[in-house]
Amino acid sequence: MAQEPAEILNLFAKSEELVDMLRKGRAFTEELMCENERLRYRVIQLEAQQMGGPYDILLTDVERLRLENAQMSQKLEFLDRRFQQVEAENKDFAQRYVQVEEQNESLANLYVASHRLHSTLDSAEVVECIKEILLNMIGSEDFGLLVIDDETNELLRAGYEGETAGRPDRARVTLGEGLEGIVALAGKPFFSERDGEEVCACVPLKIKERVVGLITIYSLLSHKRGLSPLDHQLLELLAGHAASALISSKLYSMADRKLRTIEGFMDLLRVPQGGGNG
Amino acid sequence: MADKSLLVVDDSATMRQLLCMTLTRVEGITQANITEAFDGEDALDKIRSQDFDLVLTDIRMPRMDGLEFIRVVRSEMKDSKLPIIIISTKGADEDVKLGMSLGASGYLSKPISMPQLKELVLNFLGEH
Repeated sequence: MAQEPAEILNLFAKSEELVDMLRKGRAFTEELMCENERLRYRVIQLEAQQMGGPYDILLTDVERLRLENAQMSQKLEFLDRRFQQVEAENKDFAQRYVQVEEQNESLANLYVASHRLHSTLDSAEVVECIKEILLNMIGSEDFGLLVIDDETNELLRAGYEGETAGRPDRARVTLGEGLEGIVALAGKPFFSERDGEEVCACVPLKIKERVVGLITIYSLLSHKRGLSPLDHQLLELLAGHAASALISSKLYSMADRKLRTIEGFMDLLRVPQGGGNG
Repeated sequence: MADKSLLVVDDSATMRQLLCMTLTRVEGITQANITEAFDGEDALDKIRSQDFDLVLTDIRMPRMDGLEFIRVVRSEMKDSKLPIIIISTKGADEDVKLGMSLGASGYLSKPISMPQLKELVLNFLGEH
């Protein structure tokens, strides 16, 4: 009987010991769980840190690039506008250059023509020169030069080239009759506006307001399509020079004739030396 | 271009003057580079006594016309590659065709267009 309580006590002690061990095990497990929780939290923190850093940098970079892109787009638009502007200016300059070249060409033509017209006082040479100018510079194929005869008040043909201008009915024109007569009377040039008309241009030769003759162009050289506004100007300017050259040569030949007549009279009047007293 | 010499052949003094004035507007060409002849015979005399790099000639001229001039030049100077440009009053008529068959290098129609003349001259002087 005495051993029974001792065994019970022993068993009780062992159970106490087991409970204690279980308690310790529980505490240890709880501690482990806490540590596990802390570590998991830390892992999440670290993961968040790891993920968050480059993403922010990336976002900043994207934002910066977006801004740069917007600025570049603006610059590109500006450059595009400027390019179009410069291109338009360039085209304008090219057109102006062509116009200036054409004007230079016309001025050179006019210079040569006026120089040639005023380089002689011989009527035949002046007429020849006018013909050369009409052929070589204006590109006329069929044309006539008429001069007003002060005595009959008619237009007389002084020179021509081509079939139409050479017709007999074109040799003498009464003032006020037909296109040429009307142009000579009115003193205003006529330029045909349509193809197929008999006369392409009829330009009076004037000194101030006085008409001294006219140029009629019936046809142009086959490759010349028509008279341009520059040709009209050139023709009118040439007409002025031609008129003054024609009148100068006419006056010169008249003066020359008079001089020769006077010289003839002087020769007749001159008393032979030593012949008077017999 | 400064050492190049050109011969302008035309019976019309107006045309010669106009051609000379136009040619002197080409960079490097001065009046000193240009010799004038008033017909084919005069041009032949000049071509026999002087070397030229380019000849511009009218077709219709008294004494010797442009076509005869080209024929004589090509037969007398068989090895020469001297460029001869015809200046014609009509576009591409029979005279021009005949001139080209006789050995002309090119042609221009009157009234002369300055840009065309410049281009042609520069082309031939560049090649020659």
